[in-house]
Amino acid sequence: MMRAAQDALAAGARNLTKTYGRGETEVHALRGVDLDLPRGGFTAIMGPSGSGKSTLMHCLAGLDQASDGTVTVAGIDLGSLDDDALTVFRRDHIGFVFQAFNLLPMLTALQNIVLPLELGGRRVDDAARERAHLLAETLGVADRLGHRPAELSGGQQQRIAIARALVTEPDLLFADEPTGNLDSTSSAEVLGHLRRSVSELGQTVVMVTHERDAAAYADDVITLQDGRIA
Amino acid sequence: MRTVLLASLRVHVRRYLAAAIAVVAGVAFVVAVGVLTSGARSGLMDGFGAPYRDADHVVSGLGAGAAIALAERLGPNASPIGRAMLPMRSGGRLFPDTAVGPVAVAQEMRWQKLVSGSFPAREGEAVVDTWVARSREIAVGDRILVGEGAAAADLRVVGVVESPSTSAQASVYVSWAQLVRWRDEPTLSLNRVAVRGEVGALPAGARVQPPEEFVTEKQAELNNRVDALSAMLLLFAGVALVVSVLVIANTFSILFAQRSRDFALLRCVGATRRQVVGAVLREAAVVGVLASLAGVLAGIGAGYGLLALINALAPAITMGSAAVPVPWLLGGFATGLVVTVVAAWSPARRVVRVSPLAALRPEAAAGGHAAAGPARLVLAVLLLAVGPALLGVAMAQDDTAFLVAGGATVFAGVLLFGPVLVPYLVRAAGGWLGPTGRLATANAVRNPRRTATTTASLLVGVTVTSAALTGMATTRAALDEARDRRHPVDASLTSPRNQVTDGLVDRVRRTPGVEQALPVYGVTALVTGLDGPIPVVAAPDAGLVARDGGAFAQVGPGEIRIDYAAFRKDLGLRPGDQVTVRAGERVIVLRVVGGTGWGRVGVVSSETLATLTGLARRVPSRPGAPTGGIETQALWIRAQAAADPMRLVDALDDLADPAGLQVDNGLQARETEEQQLRVLTWSVLGLIAIAVVIALAGIANTLGLSVLERAREHALLRALGLTRGRLRRMLAAEALLLSAVAALLGTVIGVGFAWAGHETFVTRALAGATLRVPWPSLGAVVVIAALAGLLAAVLPARRAARVTPAAGLTLD
Ligand SMILES: Nc1ncnc2c1ncn2[C@@H]1O[C@H](COP(=O)(O)OP(=O)(O)OP(=O)(O)O)[C@@H](O)[C@H]1O
Ligand SMILES: [Mg+2]
Repeated sequence: MMRAAQDALAAGARNLTKTYGRGETEVHALRGVDLDLPRGGFTAIMGPSGSGKSTLMHCLAGLDQASDGTVTVAGIDLGSLDDDALTVFRRDHIGFVFQAFNLLPMLTALQNIVLPLELGGRRVDDAARERAHLLAETLGVADRLGHRPAELSGGQQQRIAIARALVTEPDLLFADEPTGNLDSTSSAEVLGHLRRSVSELGQTVVMVTHERDAAAYADDVITLQDGRIA
Repeated sequence: MRTVLLASLRVHVRRYLAAAIAVVAGVAFVVAVGVLTSGARSGLMDGFGAPYRDADHVVSGLGAGAAIALAERLGPNASPIGRAMLPMRSGGRLFPDTAVGPVAVAQEMRWQKLVSGSFPAREGEAVVDTWVARSREIAVGDRILVGEGAAAADLRVVGVVESPSTSAQASVYVSWAQLVRWRDEPTLSLNRVAVRGEVGALPAGARVQPPEEFVTEKQAELNNRVDALSAMLLLFAGVALVVSVLVIANTFSILFAQRSRDFALLRCVGATRRQVVGAVLREAAVVGVLASLAGVLAGIGAGYGLLALINALAPAITMGSAAVPVPWLLGGFATGLVVTVVAAWSPARRVVRVSPLAALRPEAAAGGHAAAGPARLVLAVLLLAVGPALLGVAMAQDDTAFLVAGGATVFAGVLLFGPVLVPYLVRAAGGWLGPTGRLATANAVRNPRRTATTTASLLVGVTVTSAALTGMATTRAALDEARDRRHPVDASLTSPRNQVTDGLVDRVRRTPGVEQALPVYGVTALVTGLDGPIPVVAAPDAGLVARDGGAFAQVGPGEIRIDYAAFRKDLGLRPGDQVTVRAGERVIVLRVVGGTGWGRVGVVSSETLATLTGLARRVPSRPGAPTGGIETQALWIRAQAAADPMRLVDALDDLADPAGLQVDNGLQARETEEQQLRVLTWSVLGLIAIAVVIALAGIANTLGLSVLERAREHALLRALGLTRGRLRRMLAAEALLLSAVAALLGTVIGVGFAWAGHETFVTRALAGATLRVPWPSLGAVVVIAALAGLLAAVLPARRAARVTPAAGLTLD
């Protein structure tokens, strides 16, 4: 019973609290968030600026340590992992798309896509390359794979980032304002790709966004207000 | 712009630290040279005139013999100035080559200042220089043994003196009567005599001058010598400053690249180009002023510290109390300031070219950089073609000017070509590393120009170091060889009257410190031009003991080789003279060949010796039973490497005296020469070390800055699954790659320069010198450079790895 409930959940948080600074400069970015993310769902996190959206995502993704409370991803309590284990966990189970600065400037687009595989010590064989090409084709950037990030448009960069996030088939894909820098056409394309990865590939996606239009692509919307779920 | 300037200085102060260190070191070097120069000058000048104060005339240009004759003729009205270099034993210690000078006969003409005790009144008494007394722990009442053999004198120390005049300075002073007892010492030089009253007739070549004129003339000469020395030191300072320029330019490039978005933003909000450049240059000027000030202070500290150290360690080199050399201080300060601002100039100009729009394109700063423009490449290729040609001319014509020009041209070419060459080498080297290494390689070569400048300072430092090390090894090898030729036999036992018995040979062989003892066979013969009979020997086996492989004993037919040093002044012979050699009834005529270092025997070939003795058979080469008048005439000894020369010579003396044999040894002279070479070696190494320290500070700085610069990339890599350990390893691998490549390249170029230099002027100065490449030292330099690079990356890498990915990603 317990097991089944966990299998149905991609991630969950209990009493998640994050406090920055001390004393005078103390900021309560998250004040006890309880949250369950179902497997195979597309969840949007919304809320005014400074409400703690990015902080919540960082904690859920194991990019930052929570001050209090627990985060469980794929049945594993992230608080129980040391830094190396957490890093390896991220590598194998979580994908990211950020608002900007997604790609390493010294690597080509293709190298950026297969980077997580390489970091995992997996051989980047033909199958992996094939998969990367397939993703790139699906995302419409197949002809830009040999270029470096500086030679790509913002929308192309974001799509390369999505391809990289999907190449490891992660349990959870986090996107922090992935369309924040894009025009409406590009952002519609990027959001469409995220939507399709949920519907067609069965991915679980969590997206932080400001925009109502973007949230409309999601199955579910969580609204944060002053560090709490409203 | 004032607020921008102050705020950015505050924020970036830590990042300027390394640039500041480079300036401080360069300026400190210049100022320290200034202080040392001024110290040396005053040391040489102060009291220079003291010995001539009460004189009416100064006679110079005399040989020791003529000076003695003059002093004896004028009696108390003459004060000869000079010294003999003699071995001195005191308190169980031996001090080879101790300077022994005279005290004037007349009270008024004594220029030394008595500190305690009294002046020597008679033979057997001595006074000691106060520095020498202190460092050698000699006090009034002690006994010292000065000189060797028959000329040895047991002296009682009756006083301690100060020696105001460096040019006349000695370590020990004795009465004139005592000094004259060493009139036959070859090291005795008395080249000046201060005279009261009339001088009288003088031998040809002597000069008589009023004291004032003499002093002025000599001081001008000394000044020139000091100036030449400080010019040489400044050459090293120049290298240090060139390295500083590279380090500073590099630091500014990186800082400005990091801040190009800030600058673009400033342009967006309405700052003009000129305002931005002005702000940037003012920032550089502030750094330059502060660092130059610190450098001046550090230089003063180092200079005076060294003066005190030299005075304490080497009392023979009196460094005067240096007046603060104001022009040097101002010059050092100005150099530091100018160097900083000039080094900031080119990066600043690049900053201005950033369009205001760059602020709106977030990735622009990290975009691709061209390796090198075509103009730069063409120039580099041109320099690389012309440079070796110049070096070739230098080597062919032994022309040092061409050498310097060629070296500078090649080096400029290499530096310009760096953005192509260095990444290529890094990629080649990085190919051997694993996946983390591949990332490191990609990181290291992504901005070729920065990669090249990062490595440039280390490249210069290592090039200079390896060239100097190779040059030094070569020169040392040549000097060692020359020394071995001068002192082929460590010690010899000889006598024209007594033979060496087999028992003595055994006892010598059993003496601790003796590695080999070779009995040498021959006859006693009379040689024209020499006062008494000498042993004439043949030694086909000299190679068993000789340091030069026995070459000195390979004498041609019809020749006799004489040890000039051993016979010293008994010798009225010159190389090439024909002499008759008479052994018993037999007389032959031989041609004299010179040499030094095997004692009081004449060496001839076995055939000549056979002719001389009338024996049909040749001299036995092994101890057997020499017959027909051939006897063991000498014993040549090779000392063990670890042997204590003084103890060994004492032991040999104890064996030789009862047998009526004389000991000659080259061990102490060897030791002294060795010591001089060591001092030279360490001085050069010390000077080089400064350039190396700056270079290391440079690469450390650049690596550290480039780690800081990429904090966001590291956060991204960490988010994507790079563990802390691997991030640290990646940064370390990058640092190691860059510094190892720079060090290797520098070593290759340095050895190349050393080779060119060797072909150009070493072969001319030291015939037969072959290039020696000191591989172990060069290897050590590469390892140290690589480790320094590694170490430089360790701290920033730790810091980079500690940041959580979330914090790193939100950095700007
Ligand atoms: N490193 C930090 N140190 C101190 N306070 C921080 C830090 N990071 C975030 N905060 C604070 O935590 C709160 C939540 O920040 P967070 O970045 O999660 O907001 P957000 O909802 O993502 O806002 P936005 O929509 O503007 O991106 C804010 O008040 C912010 O000032
Ligand atoms: Mg945010």
